[in-house]
Amino acid sequence: MKEQISALMDGELERAQSAAPLEALRDAGEAREAWRTYHLIGDAMRETRMVSGSFTARVAAALAAEPTVMAPVAVIPEPRPAAAARQWPALSIAASVAAFALVVGAVFVSQKDAVQAPQVANAPKPPVELIRETAQVAPPDTAHDYVLAHQGSSPRNSLQGMVPYVRLVSDQSRPAKP
Amino acid sequence: MTRGRAALLIAAFPLLTGGLAQAQAPRSSAEGVALLRKIYQATGKLSYTGTFVYQQGDRSETSRITRVAVDDVEKLEVLDGMPREIVRTRDTIRCYLPESQTVKVDRRTDTGAFPAVLPERISDLAKNYVITRAEPARVGGYDCDTVVLTPADDLRYGYKLWADVGTGMLLKARTFNRKGETVEQFTFTQLTIGNVPRDRVKSRHAARSWRVEDAAVAPANLAQSGWTVSRELPGFRKVMEVTRRLGESRPVGQMVYSDGLAAVSVFIEPMAGRAEAVRPGPSSLGAFHIYTREVANHIVTVVGEAPAASVQRIADTVEFRKPQ
Repeated sequence: MKEQISALMDGELERAQSAAPLEALRDAGEAREAWRTYHLIGDAMRETRMVSGSFTARVAAALAAEPTVMAPVAVIPEPRPAAAARQWPALSIAASVAAFALVVGAVFVSQKDAVQAPQVANAPKPPVELIRETAQVAPPDTAHDYVLAHQGSSPRNSLQGMVPYVRLVSDQSRPAKP
Repeated sequence: MTRGRAALLIAAFPLLTGGLAQAQAPRSSAEGVALLRKIYQATGKLSYTGTFVYQQGDRSETSRITRVAVDDVEKLEVLDGMPREIVRTRDTIRCYLPESQTVKVDRRTDTGAFPAVLPERISDLAKNYVITRAEPARVGGYDCDTVVLTPADDLRYGYKLWADVGTGMLLKARTFNRKGETVEQFTFTQLTIGNVPRDRVKSRHAARSWRVEDAAVAPANLAQSGWTVSRELPGFRKVMEVTRRLGESRPVGQMVYSDGLAAVSVFIEPMAGRAEAVRPGPSSLGAFHIYTREVANHIVTVVGEAPAASVQRIADTVEFRKPQ
């Protein structure tokens, strides 16, 4: 029955096959529990507004610690015209454990501790800032001017005096003498 | 993996709640805050002269620095690579570049930066960082106490500071990222604390016939021209808004956001008449992350001593609405 509930949520059941699970959902019971849990999992995978700041780091660490050859086997359903976009991507063990922790964490983290974290995309693709930096472009030609202008208002100056000013000049390579 | 499998894992790991639920958030300690306060006060009132090394990436540079407290004048002289010297007085900062015979002049703004009052500044910091003491160490011949500022989120770096037990003078400062890797580090290798003759903070350059590039900083209200940052980064507040000149004569608007220790500048300038090509996207220069965007026929350049993602987030929320 749980498999049927799962398939029902994904819109993968033909009308005839849906009757049984729909019937089961009418009564409070195992089927409804499964429905609730699966939705919670799905929501948790898609939205992480209540995740603590270090959580994404721990997910990343867990994902990074996965054994190699973890190219996820994407469970891509056969294209169906009626299929909703509710993909259920293959989950590595760490990610599904993390998903569980997310679900529970969402229940327990109090609102005031919550830090607005960037959206966690569907696992296993980590958010942009976690592991791989997006490809960098060359800095602007006048980057030194920006940095010099910025340095003047840095609060580091109150902590360290002028010491941080070395940063803005440290990148200027010596122009070649003719 | 099907939902069935995921549910099985859920059943098997009920104890996972332990780590997340109601975990005691680490808190700043009174000793940590007290040491941080001592460091700020020392920076403001001490005279000193010394040599320090700046390390960033695989780069390492040695500089000499001297401060005369009574006049609030300070001089920094970089000893490696291209010769340059910066002298900071109460109101201005002058950057001497002998090889191009140029002096860049800027207004000193940190004295007006928020919060000017130290207790407010520290309580703001405690919102964004967990401030705690760590083990003492010896640096540059001085016994030092240490304090660590652990960021409360991933939007900023962390810091560890080593300060002389006696005076609170900052001997060493390390910036680290979320992985604990060192982003940059300043270390005094030689330091003398105490009165310094005034002539030691004068520039060695007469610079009389040099080209002067004055930043011509003036307070501004960029919202009036239609520019806003629609969503501030959590923990960062706008602390400055000016127009100024970059380089020889390029007028730009600048907004500075700060969390009390890290700062991010948003520069906005018109696209028209720009000679160089614009390369949108993330870049970096030394310890600074930069993000460039085109918005409404202007170039938005965000520069910050913060992780690349923070710089990009601020850049992405810069908006222009034509003023009515």
